[in-house]
Parts: sequence; C-alpha cells; structure tokens
Amino acid sequence: MDIDVKNLHPLEVRLLRHAKAGEDITEAGIISGLGYKVGQCNQAFSWLQAKGCIEEVSRTKRTIYELTDAGRAMKESGLPAERIYAFLADKGAHTMPEIAEALSLEKSDVGSAFGLLSSNGALRLNDERKAETAGEMPQLVLTQRYLLDKAAEKGSIDESELSKDDKAAIAPLAKKRGASSSPFRIVEREDVVYRLTKAGEETKEALISADITGEEFGVLTPQMIQTGSWKNGTFRPYGINAPTSRLIPGRRNAYSEYLQWVKDKLISLGFEEFDGPLVENEFWNGDALFMPQFHSARDIHDVYYVKDPVHAKAIEEPWLSQVAATHENGWETGSRGWGYTFDHEFTRRQVLRSQGTVLSAHQLTKAHVPGKYFGVVRCFRYDQVDATHGADFYQTEGIVIGKDVNLRNLLGLLKMFAEEIAGAEEVKYVPGYFPFTEPSIEVHIKHPVLGWFELGGSGIFRPEVTEPLGIKEPVLAWGLGIDRMALMHLGLNDLRELFTPDIDSVRTRRGN
Amino acid sequence: MPKIEVPENIFFELLGKRMTDEELVDIFPVAKAELDGHDTENHVIKIELNDTNRPDLWSAAGVARALRCYETGEIPYYDFFSTKDDERPSDGRMVIDDESAIGIRDYSIGFAARGKTVDNDLLVNLIQSQEKLCTNFGRKRKTIAMGIYRSDLIKYPVHYAAVDPDATRFVPLGMDEELSLREICEKHPKGKEYGHIVSSFPRFPYLYDDNGDTLSFPPVINSARIGAVEVGDSDFFIEVSGPILDDLLLAVSILACDMSDMGFEILPVKCRFAKDTPYGREITVPYFFQKPMAASLELVHQKLGEDLTGEECVEALKRMGVYSFVDGGTIYAEVPEYRNDFLHGVDVVEDVMIGHGLSSFEPVMPSDFTIGRLSPVEEFSRKVKGILVGLGFQEMMYNYLGSKREYIDNMHVSVEDAVFIANPMSENYEVIRPSVLPCLLESESVSGHAVYPHSIFEIGKITVKDESDNSGTRTIDSLGLFSSNASVGYNDAASYINTLMYFLRKEYTLAEAGDDPRFIPGRAARIICSGVDVGVFGETHPQVLESWGCSMPSIMAEIDLNKLMNA
Repeated sequence: MDIDVKNLHPLEVRLLRHAKAGEDITEAGIISGLGYKVGQCNQAFSWLQAKGCIEEVSRTKRTIYELTDAGRAMKESGLPAERIYAFLADKGAHTMPEIAEALSLEKSDVGSAFGLLSSNGALRLNDERKAETAGEMPQLVLTQRYLLDKAAEKGSIDESELSKDDKAAIAPLAKKRGASSSPFRIVEREDVVYRLTKAGEETKEALISADITGEEFGVLTPQMIQTGSWKNGTFRPYGINAPTSRLIPGRRNAYSEYLQWVKDKLISLGFEEFDGPLVENEFWNGDALFMPQFHSARDIHDVYYVKDPVHAKAIEEPWLSQVAATHENGWETGSRGWGYTFDHEFTRRQVLRSQGTVLSAHQLTKAHVPGKYFGVVRCFRYDQVDATHGADFYQTEGIVIGKDVNLRNLLGLLKMFAEEIAGAEEVKYVPGYFPFTEPSIEVHIKHPVLGWFELGGSGIFRPEVTEPLGIKEPVLAWGLGIDRMALMHLGLNDLRELFTPDIDSVRTRRGN
Repeated sequence: MPKIEVPENIFFELLGKRMTDEELVDIFPVAKAELDGHDTENHVIKIELNDTNRPDLWSAAGVARALRCYETGEIPYYDFFSTKDDERPSDGRMVIDDESAIGIRDYSIGFAARGKTVDNDLLVNLIQSQEKLCTNFGRKRKTIAMGIYRSDLIKYPVHYAAVDPDATRFVPLGMDEELSLREICEKHPKGKEYGHIVSSFPRFPYLYDDNGDTLSFPPVINSARIGAVEVGDSDFFIEVSGPILDDLLLAVSILACDMSDMGFEILPVKCRFAKDTPYGREITVPYFFQKPMAASLELVHQKLGEDLTGEECVEALKRMGVYSFVDGGTIYAEVPEYRNDFLHGVDVVEDVMIGHGLSSFEPVMPSDFTIGRLSPVEEFSRKVKGILVGLGFQEMMYNYLGSKREYIDNMHVSVEDAVFIANPMSENYEVIRPSVLPCLLESESVSGHAVYPHSIFEIGKITVKDESDNSGTRTIDSLGLFSSNASVGYNDAASYINTLMYFLRKEYTLAEAGDDPRFIPGRAARIICSGVDVGVFGETHPQVLESWGCSMPSIMAEIDLNKLMNA
C-alpha cells in the first residue's frame, strides 16, 4: 500500500474509520454520523476518491427548493396575498394604489395578488372600485404559507416531498438560479453513493493499527500551552514534503555581492580601495597616462564628452606642467617624449571616465611607498550596447608601488589573482601593449568552466607616467576583466542582465 | 586594434616556411599578434595586431619579419637606406616640394620599386598595407596619405605644390571626366570621404610630373592614368604626403622594407623640401632617421628582476631584430629602420624581455607588507545595505547613463542640475543620472508581474552640477529607496528613515520639502543631519507614477551618503 496514513487529513481519517466495508457512504450519513458540514463532506469525498480509498457506486439527480433570503423575510412578514387580505379585513375597502402605498408593495405585486384572491372569491371590487373582502382565504395561499413554514425549518424542501397541489402552489414562488426577490430557488442536486475500495479497507486497517483517530491535535495554540491541554492527546504528524509557499525576502543584489567578494579578496591581499568622480578631464583620462593627445583611442568616437561645463577650471600643478613637458620632450624622465606641442585647452576638456587606470594615475599623487591600491570602478564606453558591451561597466584596476617591484613580482601578482580570484587551473603570460606600461603583460588563464581566456592586462608604468606625478619608484599596474566570471557566477550570458531593472529577475537571481 | 587578412601562400613565403595554426598561436605573441582566424577554404590567415605603436607589424611582411627574426636570430639587412652622410644613388628620380604647400600639408616624399610583376593577391596585399598605414597610423589620411603610381609613365622630377582648386583639373581614378580639385571633393566618393582634410584651405595639394601630367590630388585621389596601378605592372613610384616628416619617413621605410621582403628592388628618390628640417633641405629616401636608444643594464635588472648579462641582452634584442652592443654597463640599441617606438630605455627593456622569453622569468610575490582597507564610503554603504535588507528591501543595480525622458521629463524635475553628454551615441544614453530614483521607478514600471510589495533600493553614484567644484560637477554616492503597495504611505517612509537613522546612530530633524514635484505636496520631508540637508523622502506624486505608467501608490527616499556619513 502506497498511502502514508500519517499524511491523511483528520477529515479523511475519521471518515475511513467510520465507514464499514460494503456499506453505502453518503453525504447524509456522514453529516449525521460524524457531524461534518456539507463542505467538509465534499472535501473528504474528493480527497479519498483521488487516493483510491472510496469509489462511486451510484449517482441520483434530484430537485430541491431552497428558501432564499427574500423567502425568509416573506415567512415573517407574510405573502403579498396574505398581507392584502389582512389589511382589507382590518381597515375596510381601499383602492389598489392605496393598498400598494400602505403596504409598501409594488403595484404589480398588488395587482397579481388581487387577481389570485378575486378569482377564488376571497376579494372583490365594490361600486367605488375599491377592493374589499368577500370570502375565505383560498387553499392555494394556505398551501404556500404551509410550504414557507416547512422550508424555514430545514432551509429547503425536496421535490419528492411535494404533492401535486403543493407543486402548483410553489411554482409561482420559485425560480431557477433565481432572482433574489423570489422566495424559493430551484436547485438541482446529485446524491452520490460511495463504497470503500479494497485500498480504502486496507488504509482503514492501517489507521486502526497505527492508532490514528483523526482526533489528534492540529495547530498548537497559546491556550493549549497555557491550560496544559496538549498533554491530553497526541499531535497530528504533518506531511513534511507538502508544497511550500514562496517568500520574498529582503536581499542583496547577486552581482553586487560578487563585486563585494572581489573587493574582500583584494583587501585580504593587502590592497587599499580607491574611488573617484565619474566626470574626468582629458588630463587625467589620457595625458597623465602618457597617451599622446592625438592617440586614436582619444578620438571623439571613443570617449563621451561632457556638454556643460565643457572644460574643467584648472588642472592641478605641478602635475600639469610636468606631464605637458613629458609629452613634448620627455621632461626629466629620460624619455624623448612624443615630440608635439601639448594642447593646454584640450587637456581641460571634460569626459566621462573611460578607463579605471585613470584612478590609478590619481592615486599616484597621494600614494604611500610601499603601497597597494585597487578600485572596482564604473567606466563609460563609446560603443553600441549589446550582449557583450554595456554603455557603462565595472573595471577592476590597481597598482603596486615599491622600491624593488619588478616584472617577476608582476607575474607573481597575476598568478595570485588568477588562482585566488579566478580559480585558474593554468596561467599563461604573453607580451601585451598598453600606452602607459612598458613592459606590458597579458595574463591568460585556463578556467575550470570557461576554458582559456584573457583575465587581464598589466605592466610596469612607464617612467613618463610615474615621474611627472611625483613617483620615483617602480609601479606595477594591473586590470582584471571580471565580467565574464561574474556572468558565469550568476548563470547569465548577457552583460546587460547585470543591470536589469526587472525586480522579479533580481529577486530570484543567485550566485554559484 | 588593427586586423589584417593575408593569403596563406604570401605569408608562408615571407616567413620562409609553413606553420600549423597551433605553431602560429604559440609564436604570434612575440609580435604581440593573435591568430584571429584561418579561412582554410579561401586560404586566408586573419591576424589581430595589439601594439598600436608598431605600424611595421600591420602587414604580412612585417609580422613574418618579426617571427623570422625571433626564430633565426638573424637581423635582416636593407641596403637601400640613405643617411645624412651616406646617400644611395637616385639616378635622377626626384620629388620637389613647393613652398606653396607649407602650412597646408608640408611634405611629400617617395621612393620607387621594380622587379616584380604584381598578381592579384600581391596587389590586394600591397593596398591593404597602404590602407593600414594611412588609416590607423595616418589617422584616416590626416597625417599620412599614400599613393602608388606607374613609375614608367612618370617624367621626373615629380612636383608637389598647393594649387588653385578651381583651375586645376584632371581625370580622377574611377571616373571618365575631368574634374577640378574642388569638384572632386564634392562629387568623387573619395572626395566626399577625405576632401574635408584640405577643403578649408585656399589652395589644395597637387602632385604632377615634369610633363605636367597629374599623379594625384593628395590626400584624396590618384589620377586615372599614372595613378592607376593594375595586375601585371612591375614598376612603381610610391609617394607619401603629410604634415609630420618623421611619420612620413617611417611609413616609407615600412613599405620599402615590406616590398623588399616581397622581392622588389627598392630605388631611392631624392626629395627636396621647401623648408628646413632636422635632416636638411634635401635627403634621399628611404632615409634612416632613427637615433639609437640606450638603456643601462641596471635598468634592465631593476625592471625585469633578473640579472641578465650584457651578452644575454644583446642576444635577446637580436631575436627582436634589434642590433645592439654593450659598453660600460649600458646597452646601445640601433633602432631598426622600420620602427620608431623607442621613446625611453624601458622600451629596450621590453624587447629584451620578449627576446629572452617571457616564460623564463619565474613569478615571485612582492615582499612589501601593506594593509588592505575598504574606502570609508564602501564600509558605510555596507552598513546601510545590511539595515535595508533587514527591512525587506531588495538591492538593485543600474546603468548610469540614460535618456532625458527617463531622468528629467518623467520625474518632472528641472533639467538644470543634470550633466549631459555632448556626443551621445543615442538618445537612450545622453545623460548621467542625477538621481537614483528614476532607475527605481523604471524597475517599478517594468515589474507589474512581480509580487507586491516592491521594496527596492540601490547605492550607487549620481552626478549633478556643482559650481563650486573644479569640474563644475559633483559625483555623489547616493542611496535611493522605493516601496510600492496598495496601502503604502508617508508614515511607512518616515518609519523606514527613522529605523535607518537609529541604527546608523544619526540624529536628524525633518523640514518641509517645499515644492518638489516628485512628491505629493505636504507629504514629503527633507532630512536634516547636524544642520546639513542630506536627503528627502515622501509619497510619490501620481503625476510621476503616471509618467512612468505605474498605478501602484509608492514612497521613495534619496540620501547623499557622503554627507550623511560625515554628518
């Protein structure tokens, strides 16, 4: 038997224990035997039938007349015919409108009641065309009164209980799915008879042997604890695999949590976080990084310009003069420079930060030696927005300053990032190119899920970058592309999804 | 990043051997190149070049040369370069620049080549190299424009001058009729593309031979006769014009070396300038102009963390095609004719690194001890997030760029405070958000299907105008929160703020919010902390909800965390 008797509802338990093999189970029997309400009966029948414990053996249609609210009111106040007859007997002859007025009845109801009573000789019209009593109350009305009173006792009358005369009397008072103004509503009912199946009998036996009565406690109430009544019985075991309801908790955003994890990793590796404004100027966004002002990546098609104010008021000294001289002739850096005339207006032009390295350059002017710094910062890209390009996105960047840091330290650092942050299985370094580092290294990693990909770019800042900003020591600079790992972590494949406004999608999103 | 496509046979012929894709993938990094694809059906290799400062690598010949050097350690020798003191014979071939072009496009120089009949593949490859140089290195012909001509039709010397754009006429390549230079700018497809480079000047650059026959209208278009190079030709004149002499000399050197590698004989051309240059008034081109670059061994050791000997450095540089010698602890590197990317000793160091083999450097961790620290605002933000999550709020994250409609119009706020982009790519990304609230409302407008209440927040950056700052703008770390439900109201907002402030240990008072169109009048308050206005909260005005297409009542709040943190 595959029914766990512990999972049966008390309504099912009590019904099964009540029913006897081979005997009819009916709604009336259960209501009288177990005191169920009609709804409880229906629940127990449908659940047990679905479990195969009972089966239907017959089904009989019948018609009943249910007393409506209007019917109950009419039972108390009287049928219109009764009220008119009593009024005229008491107050003497009146016109139809006077009757309607006095009894607050519709004129049409007065009319039809008068028709009924006069055709049976109970009322008549006198010479003044006023209605007056003329004989006894007709049998039809007396029958209607009898039926109203009878229905009021049980709420309804079964059609099988009605004589031919009764049916004739109730017909004008009843409607199917009736207008609520009718005293009776005609309802079709089906009497269904069930019997225990073999499975039902077995379940019943199992209930008896498990000593489950259906009288076990359900919900534990404060009163039960206060009175100690819980000691007088046992608790009904619940089905532990019942479907659960969905809760909507307050939650962190899964992508933000991932970025927080990256930040915490970098903190644990001794890095201090930096941050900065979204609006930059060409000086910090490019000049300070020794990108010549004519560099192709500094074209109008690569950077967002700010409409107003177009220019920053000033560029901080001595950085401006030193950087400008470095571009023109190398200044004191030992470089030959780019050999062009530095544009002092262009350098103040305001842009949206296009690369995280900008903040590394800022940091140089306030850095401690030795020092390790990082930022997870929003940058803006002049690009069509699609699955792999966002208008704005996070870059993870940083620097390491130290008297003796060198290429081998850079490789070590990249290896550490690859293992600690990306979970890399293998690491490969290849020469790279960035305008602001020399040498430049790209690190490629073999990720357990994503396979080989470029994790990031790095290098040793050119002296043309560090020295004009006041740093004599070597500076390792690195940037990590963590978006691919973030997407994988979140089970997504479209960068746009990271910043989705859809609440439900954010609510259900989770990291690995 | 420049990308090139080269026919297999040309590439492998230049390389001197065939290589498998795997071998190419392994060796390409020494030229900072990547195998971008191999079309085995059409026998084309696609290469991506990552070094934007090495135009010599943007051609099949250049990449092949770098790989050949690296593998064999043999530096190629090109015998056709002249120097100041050592001129190669030009045999009457000459370009004379007229002073009329000064200030417009100062220089035109050139060389000739012969001895190899071009087939279709070679011609396509040659034109690709020319295009890469002019487009990427020459900034879309602004600083370098290059023409290839049929040398056998030219009567030397060639003349370069700036001429009357209306009186000068010739038949441009790709057309049948004679047009004036100005008409070419207006009618010819190349004129429409490149005419703007010179069209603001009263006179336009013009190149013609000693018979007066047109070579070209640089930087726009060749003539249909001398300038029409075809399959089967074998004698060429290559001319380069532009405002920066070193860039022109380098472009010429690169193309001359490439063509020499392909089997051409390079014929020098004498060039006479109309003004003084660092190399004099007259030089013979191709011309070796690069100065040697020095780097101390100490610099190499310091940067690379490995005490390489002088011999090891010389050997490594040789594999990079760079001849060098060590004298007194300093490496002197002769810059190859086709390169001009040595600005500082560190550029020599990088070539030593690549030539020595990156894989031979053992990774070690930096030994300095440093303390890791979050930024103060990040720490503060984490506290705020913890409290809001406890209050049942879902954290959201949004883009920072959006449209005026979303950030301004839908919020019924003034446009004054917002920072706009001068060159937006589309209307959808034209403003930096001046507030987090429109983002939260966008969420509300697209999330009608999500179970209510919608309690969401974000901590992120916003940017507003601020006269007092050097940039005229201020970036703020802002908290925005929003909650919508059938029964939500001012009291809920006030309770959230109260709870938040209590746990942040911030005392505050409230002030009338006045005329803020985002909120229902009389149902919003400013939050005052230590006398500083740090934010606002209240019931969202139905006009705002209507603009966003939302029909659920809501409350919202926005707080400046930089101010609150320090209040």
